[in-house]
Order: sequence, then structure tokens, then C-alpha cells
Amino acid sequence: MNEKPVILGDFKNTNDLYSRMVAEIQDYAIILMDKEGIIRNWNKGAQKIKQYTSDEIIGKHFSIFYLPEDLAVNMPQQLINEASLNGRSTQEGWRKRKDGSRFWGSITITALHDDDNCIIGFSKVTRDLTAKKIDEDKLRISEERYHRMIAEVQDYAIILLSPNGIIENWNIGAQNIKGYSANEVIGKRFDLFYTEEDRKNKLPDSLLDEARYKGKATQEGWRLRKNGSKFWGTIVITALHGKDGQLIGFSKVTRDLTEKKIADEKLLSYTAELEIQNSELEQFAYVASHDLQEPLRKIQTFAELIQENYTDEAFVKSYFKKLDKSAKRLSELVKSLLEYSRLSKDKNIDEYNSGVGEVDLNNIITEVKLDFELLIEEKDAIIKCAHLPTITGSAIQLGQLFSNLISNSLKFSNTKPIIEISWAIVNKNQIPNAPSALSEGKYFQISFEDNGIGFEQKYDKKIFSLFQRLHGKQDYAGTGIGLSLCKKIVENHAGTINVLSSLGHGATFDVYLPSN
Amino acid sequence: MNESKHSLIIDDDLDDQEIFLMCVKKISADISCRTANNGEEAIIMLESQKEYVPDYIFLDVNMPKMNGIECLKILKKMERLKETKIFMYSTTAESSVVKQIKALGAEDFIIKPVETIVLREKLAKIFGITWVTNGQVNKS
Repeated sequence: MNEKPVILGDFKNTNDLYSRMVAEIQDYAIILMDKEGIIRNWNKGAQKIKQYTSDEIIGKHFSIFYLPEDLAVNMPQQLINEASLNGRSTQEGWRKRKDGSRFWGSITITALHDDDNCIIGFSKVTRDLTAKKIDEDKLRISEERYHRMIAEVQDYAIILLSPNGIIENWNIGAQNIKGYSANEVIGKRFDLFYTEEDRKNKLPDSLLDEARYKGKATQEGWRLRKNGSKFWGTIVITALHGKDGQLIGFSKVTRDLTEKKIADEKLLSYTAELEIQNSELEQFAYVASHDLQEPLRKIQTFAELIQENYTDEAFVKSYFKKLDKSAKRLSELVKSLLEYSRLSKDKNIDEYNSGVGEVDLNNIITEVKLDFELLIEEKDAIIKCAHLPTITGSAIQLGQLFSNLISNSLKFSNTKPIIEISWAIVNKNQIPNAPSALSEGKYFQISFEDNGIGFEQKYDKKIFSLFQRLHGKQDYAGTGIGLSLCKKIVENHAGTINVLSSLGHGATFDVYLPSN
Repeated sequence: MNESKHSLIIDDDLDDQEIFLMCVKKISADISCRTANNGEEAIIMLESQKEYVPDYIFLDVNMPKMNGIECLKILKKMERLKETKIFMYSTTAESSVVKQIKALGAEDFIIKPVETIVLREKLAKIFGITWVTNGQVNKS
């Protein structure tokens, strides 16, 4: 058991000195153990670090410094075994001082051999790295926390790019916004978020270049998600540099501002619509006042003339008739203007008009025929009508539309009127002069063809304008509002109206209404 | 003292034609007055009757098909109407229209008045004549 003399025997002067050196070292615990791991020697450093004196510790097994969890896995024996096998073993871990407190020890156990290469014991050098360990842990925790923070930011895509734009890191925000998971996208170039057009224009490269030369690059634009849908991203790419100033990569922070962008665009289109409405209103006010003043002025003039010539019975009679006619016209104008302005107010029929529903156009035709019964009889008119579809809309407005178109055909005719109403289903691209605002899809084309006086095709736009008439008031009655009303009704139903005509050869009004 | 003058009124409104003719007749019997019911009719008339050179043309602004402004542009291109004074008239005067017709070479813009006396005074001034009404001598 007492092997001390074997190791320490046969002193020479240098060896003695050497032993003193080891004994006095304060920063390292240098321990001599026999091949069983029993402590045989102990220096000042060991006492300083582990708090035991030589007397207290010599003869004890070195496992005394180990924590219960390390003992449970037999760590001291494993370290000895490893050192026996490989000459040395190293380890870092928490150790126990005499007073039970812990220190972070970095140890090296080295096997000692005799001349026959048999193991005679071990040296164990331990360094107390507690302070360093605590600092490192702090740093590691702080770094970890920082990485977690970035990784878990939900509202911003924060991506790390290599100097040539390869994605190296990916956070939850990036996954939320762009739809890719980290392992789907890491290692790919960040170009894949850009639209084909942007890629063609080398936008990703020019942004990296800008960040490379100016330190950062910012941009807003439509980007692609994994599923192909687009989002409005605002991005900041910042160049990252190493200690020597070398470019080591880029950070790219992206925010999804699609909702804001859509709101902005909506605001713009509302503003534009409002401006159009305003100018329409101005136009409306002007033509309305002009057309209303005309009969009013005449009434006043006729009254004046009657007063001046009140003794001339024939004159008075004739001018009273004129006066009455003007008054009637004024009343007619006021009525149809009211109708027109009501229609404009109910523009968004989807939102306001409770009268919107499924409308069987055959019922409408029956009602309109009834309204014009007398006129149809008087003019000996024929109305041929196919079996019409049922559509979604306002029954009142569609009634006005049919009524105006049929009354026009009855009115602008010098012979026996023949009116043919037919329908078909067409695609948007089959509609001539379709307004760009018209949605894609299928439309009911409802045609009103007559054999009336017709008009020159060059007036095909003008006839739909408010108060535009192609005929003198004395030739054909009317306010010049009817077809404007038709146009408005069709537009309210998200459709359009066209007319084909030539002078003397009738007219065909084609009404297009969405079929779904 | 006044040599006979010719005027042409182009208006689709027959009532307004009648009132206009009435006023012209009242201020001078020496002024002949012809009518056209719209711009196209007036142009056809002027093109088919080459010897007819009106001294004054009164042109309504709002007419079906060809409106007064379009008609004015064509009339101004007719060589023999170089000396003809063209007046535009309408129920209301919109400043932009007034500006436009003057730029196109019209003499003036006349608002169709409520009282016929106002129109008569205006016409007398244009024709440069003195006329008598209600025993009063009106001088232009």
C-alpha cells in the first residue's frame, strides 16, 4: 500500500528542485496519484483550488472532487482508464471543493510509466477556469438569446445571406411571410423571392451591389411567396463586415406591407372615383340647369308676349298653348332628372338596394308591354321576344332599362315598328368596345333590334350622354335623358351597352350584363 | 337709309326661331331673315346657294347632331362668309364656351333673354339702327 518511496526515492539535486517547483505552483493543482487513483502528492495550487491540506487529502481517492452525477457514471475511473490506454485524458467540468462549493475545472491526467513501460501512477493537472466559464456562459446565453430573438421575430423576415446571396439563416418571420421552412430554403439564392420580371431586370443583384458599395439598400415591391402568391415587401439589405473590414455577408430584413399597400391603392382609386364623380356632378349641374332654364325662360317670354298682345285673341290663344307646352316639358325634365339622380345615388346596388334579387326578364317584358299597350296598338307595333333568362339585379332598374329601350324603338319609327328581343351568352372578349373596368367572364347579351329611323353610327357614343338629342324637339318628343339612364342602369349592374345603327335602317341596342 | 341686310338664324328650337323673327321684324322691316333648323341644314343651304351671303348669322350652341361650335368652325372656313358677323347664342353662358367661340372667330355671345325687349335692344345695336317702341325713340 505504501508506494511513496518507489516514486519519491532516489533524489538528486535537480529532482529535488523540480519537486519544490511543482509544490509551489499556485495556479494549477498538480497531484500525483498511484495507479489506483489514490492521491500521493499535493501542491500549493491544489490546496488553493480544492481547499484540502496535504494531510487531509493524501491517501484519499481523487474521486472525492467529483459531483454525485459524475460519480454515478463512474467518470473518475473512466478518466484513469483512458489515460492508461492513451497516455492521457482531458476533461472539463464542475468539481467540488472541500467546503462543497463548485469550481469549473479543466483537467489533464497523464499516465506515468516505469522503465518496463508499466503504469506506476498518474499525474493530474487541474486548472480552475470558473471565472472564464462564467463569462463564457454569459456570452453564450446572451448569444443564444439573441439568436432566439431573431429566430422568433414573427413580423419581420430576417435572413442572413452569404456575400453572393445564398440564404444561410432563416427565422419564423421569414417562414410566415414567404411560406418556406428553413430547410427548404437554406442554401438557395435569395432570387427566388423575386418576380420573373425583377429577376430578368437583375434587381436582386443590383440590390446586393448597392448594399456592398453603400452599406445598405432599401426597396419596396411585389415579392413571391412559396405558393406563387404575391406580397408587397419593403426590404432593407445591410452589408455585414468582419473585423478586418472584409464583407462576410448581408442581413436582409423584409416586412410584409401588403395590407397597407392595398389600403393605399384603394384610397387612390376611391380618390380617382370621387374625382370622376365630382366632374360628372359638375357636368350634370351645368346641363341640368341649362336644360331646365330653357323651358322656364320660354314660359316667361310667352307670358310677356301674351301681356303685350292681350287684345289679339288668336295670338293669346296660340301663345297660351305654347306656354302650356313649355310648362309640361319643364315638369317632364324635372321628373326624369329626379329619376336619373336617384339612380346615381343607388349606384352600389349590392350594398344599398334592397330590391336586388333574381329577376325574371320575361316578367319585365310583360310589364313593359302592358305599360305601352296603347302606343303599341296605335302604332300597330310587333314585339317579338325570345324566352329570356333570369338575372341578378334590381327589378325596378331593369324595368326602367327595358321600358326606355322599347319606348325609344316605338318612338323613333315612321312605319309599323317591329322590335325583336333576343339573347345569347358571350365572353368579355366578344364584347365590342368593352370598357377596361369590365370584369372577365361570361355575359348575357340582350339585343333590342328595331326597324326604326336609326341614326349614323358616328353618334353611337353621343346618344348615351345626358341631354344629347339627335333630333329637334319638334320632330320627336323626349328629354334627352332616356339613354343616359339606360347606360347608368347597365353600369350599376356591372355591364355595358352598345348600339349599332345606320340612318334609315333601324338600330340594335346590345345590353351586356354579367351572367353570374 | 338702311340698305337691306340679310340675317340667318340657325336654331333647332322652333319657339326660339319664332321669338327671334318677331324681334327682328319689330326693329326693322329692312332686315330679311332666313332660318335653318340645325347646323347641317344651314351648311347645305349655304353650299347650295352660292349667291346667298348673310350679313349676320345667329347660331344656337346646343343643337342635336352637329352642335353650334362644330358648325361655327365650318362656317368660318367659308371664304364668302369672310365679312359675315357670326353671333352664338344660348340659354346659358358658360365662360369656357364663350372663350372658345371668341377664339374661333365669333363676334359675341348672346344669352337668350327672358324679356323680348332685351333681345330687341341687343339686335338693334348689332344692326346699328334706331327704332321706335312705345312712342320712345331708341338709339343704338
